[in-house]
Amino acid sequence: MAIELTMPRLSDTMEQGTIIKWNIKEGDTVSAGDAVADIETDKATMEMQVFDDGVVGKILVPEGTTVEVGTVIAVIAEPDEDLTEVAATIEARGGTTPTTVAPEPTPEPIQESLEASGVKPPVAPAFDRVRISPVARRLAAEHGIDLATLQGSGPRGRIVKRDVLRALEATRETAAAIPPSAKALASVPQVPFEGVLAGAPVLQDRVTPLSGIRQTIARRLVEATATIPHYQVTVTFNMDPLLGLRGTLNEQLADQGVKLSVNDFLVRGCALAILQHPEFNASWEADHIRIHGNVNIGLAISLPPERGGGLVVGTLRNADRKSLRTISQESRQLAEKARTRGLTIDEMADSTFVLSNLGMYGVDRFTAIINPPNSAILAVGAAIQKPVVRNGELTIGHEMAATASLDHRLIDGAMAAEFLQTLKELIEHPAMLLV
Amino acid sequence: MPRSIEFREAIREAMCEEMRRDARVFLLGEEVAQYQGAYKVSRGMLKEFGPRRVIDAPISENGFSGLGIGAAMYGLRPIIEFMSWSFSLVAADQILNNAPKMLYMSGGQFPIPIVFRGNGGAGGQLGSTHSWCVESMYANVPGLKMAIPFDAYDAKGLLKTAIRDDNPVFVLESERLLSVKGEVPEGDYLVPFGEAAIRRQGTDCTIVSFGRPLYFCLEAAESLAAEGIECEVIDGRTVRPLDIETISRSVARTNYCVVVDESWPFASIGAELAAQIHVLNFDDLDNHVVRVQADDVPAPYAYNLEQEMLPNARKICEAVRAVTYAA
Repeated sequence: MAIELTMPRLSDTMEQGTIIKWNIKEGDTVSAGDAVADIETDKATMEMQVFDDGVVGKILVPEGTTVEVGTVIAVIAEPDEDLTEVAATIEARGGTTPTTVAPEPTPEPIQESLEASGVKPPVAPAFDRVRISPVARRLAAEHGIDLATLQGSGPRGRIVKRDVLRALEATRETAAAIPPSAKALASVPQVPFEGVLAGAPVLQDRVTPLSGIRQTIARRLVEATATIPHYQVTVTFNMDPLLGLRGTLNEQLADQGVKLSVNDFLVRGCALAILQHPEFNASWEADHIRIHGNVNIGLAISLPPERGGGLVVGTLRNADRKSLRTISQESRQLAEKARTRGLTIDEMADSTFVLSNLGMYGVDRFTAIINPPNSAILAVGAAIQKPVVRNGELTIGHEMAATASLDHRLIDGAMAAEFLQTLKELIEHPAMLLV
Repeated sequence: MPRSIEFREAIREAMCEEMRRDARVFLLGEEVAQYQGAYKVSRGMLKEFGPRRVIDAPISENGFSGLGIGAAMYGLRPIIEFMSWSFSLVAADQILNNAPKMLYMSGGQFPIPIVFRGNGGAGGQLGSTHSWCVESMYANVPGLKMAIPFDAYDAKGLLKTAIRDDNPVFVLESERLLSVKGEVPEGDYLVPFGEAAIRRQGTDCTIVSFGRPLYFCLEAAESLAAEGIECEVIDGRTVRPLDIETISRSVARTNYCVVVDESWPFASIGAELAAQIHVLNFDDLDNHVVRVQADDVPAPYAYNLEQEMLPNARKICEAVRAVTYAA
């Protein structure tokens, strides 16, 4: 059976690789461990090793070509194998065009009997993956058992409940066999010591399986911090005019059900500021910058624990063309829907600039991580009453700090300062947000 | 004071009590009056209620079923007895096409408070055409209810509920159970629809069935207990409405499920149960649901072949061992 060499994933984030140089040619004999090619990844140029002995049958992807991870790039014939077989393998796959090739499913009859229900067992493909029953998967996840350590005792090696329970039992036995000194550390949190009040909460070691949303947050934020050169610029706003205007409007519009939040003014302010500074509504796309034609402000919304916690970004589309009243209504609806029923993909897509507000928690200031493919995010703290200097006099006023995190590939420091200046102008003269 | 009566007497008690209680209720069917019932279910009823309320019909299922539906549209509450559910097939247009749809088609004007009842199921060496298990085919139709009593207690309680229901109710009684005695209270009680009964408690595998095959399930559960597998046997009692919650709760505890259904496997109650359990209990299952059904062939006449074609305790044991990976 010919061996297919595929573009290896040489780093976690690698999606595709470029063959810089082949160190082999067709007909060469290779041994496991030989460096057959130099591959350029998104991070570095690395050697690609071969894991089998054989003869190079065919090189499918020439030097200088970039292909997706998993694409077959060469075929190796085993030492006792005829090279014509290699040709047949390639032929069977539909020629030499490099494509992403999934593992060949081998037809294999289902062993379990469907005959009890009078149905002829169909022929199903076998998949190259862990076979495990749903409840076994759930139990393993709950107890933090690595599936790779399990031996399936079910049909076709399926991991079933008893396999997980056995592994769990074995873990407990091992734990019991550890000498007391080695266990001391692990047992500390579970043994209340003197001085701790009876009934006080005690933490225990436990493993929490990752929810889908937690995995997405982790993946995207790691990607963002790894790929975007972040820096921050902070500005402080005099909030007295805005708070005054907000109070007046809310009083006068109370009977129409209007209740504007500080955040609504900020959304409007950012949207208008973006119109003057379009780089804040842009994406870095490797060899060009894309300026977006729509101003879609993303709102970071934290989810309650009963919905699994985490946060999502709800999108307020075309915020520059919406009145404060509409922004207020839509923001509230988005937040409420996110926290009760959850948002649709559409309601979370296409944001071009994100606003993250922790003001309601009394936070002074903080920094946020950019939500790719955006170029900026604004982290807003609380409007805090404090001694301030106005017109050369010490007085009491409200101030609020906002920190922009920026992608330095698109936005330089002075540009950020100018954007924040525009925003400051709008927030401190809030009547401009009304027209 | 508990007393034990036959399944057939329990059916009769239900009908008599309801006919005394409500003058609109009457019984119509072949040999129900003069002959006292082909299976002596209606013994003595002609004498008590007279020929206007216990009525012999000619051999014309389509005719007298339609007559019953018409009577129901006029406000009466007929009980139509089929000597066998196998004979109801000739009345399909009335019982499937008219009765369950009339309320809908008349815009809510004509409820059809009718009970169709009679012997269902195979196992009596009656040959291919007289051994129908109609439950899967009939349960497919929206607008009807279906009860399959397991014992004398349920036979009385479910039938009384059926007679008081304002919808067409199909009550499938097993000829093989008519002589089986069970404790039945005297006087009025109802067994509500849509409430399954747990006939045996267990922790290792859930077995779900209706009617007569439950006896095979219980027999299988006993012999499996000797092997260390404790089965929970659930009697669904009514197919429509279906108490999937009770079944699902049990499967959530046991992680395994065997469905036993006397009808053919294709597009059957067993298939429906398996589908619903796969949806509701996906994360609880350690194996796919295994079905024990009649084989996908016409019922044979020969005794040994017929017993082998139908669900039986041996097949159920094999299914439970297979589903729990104990085979």
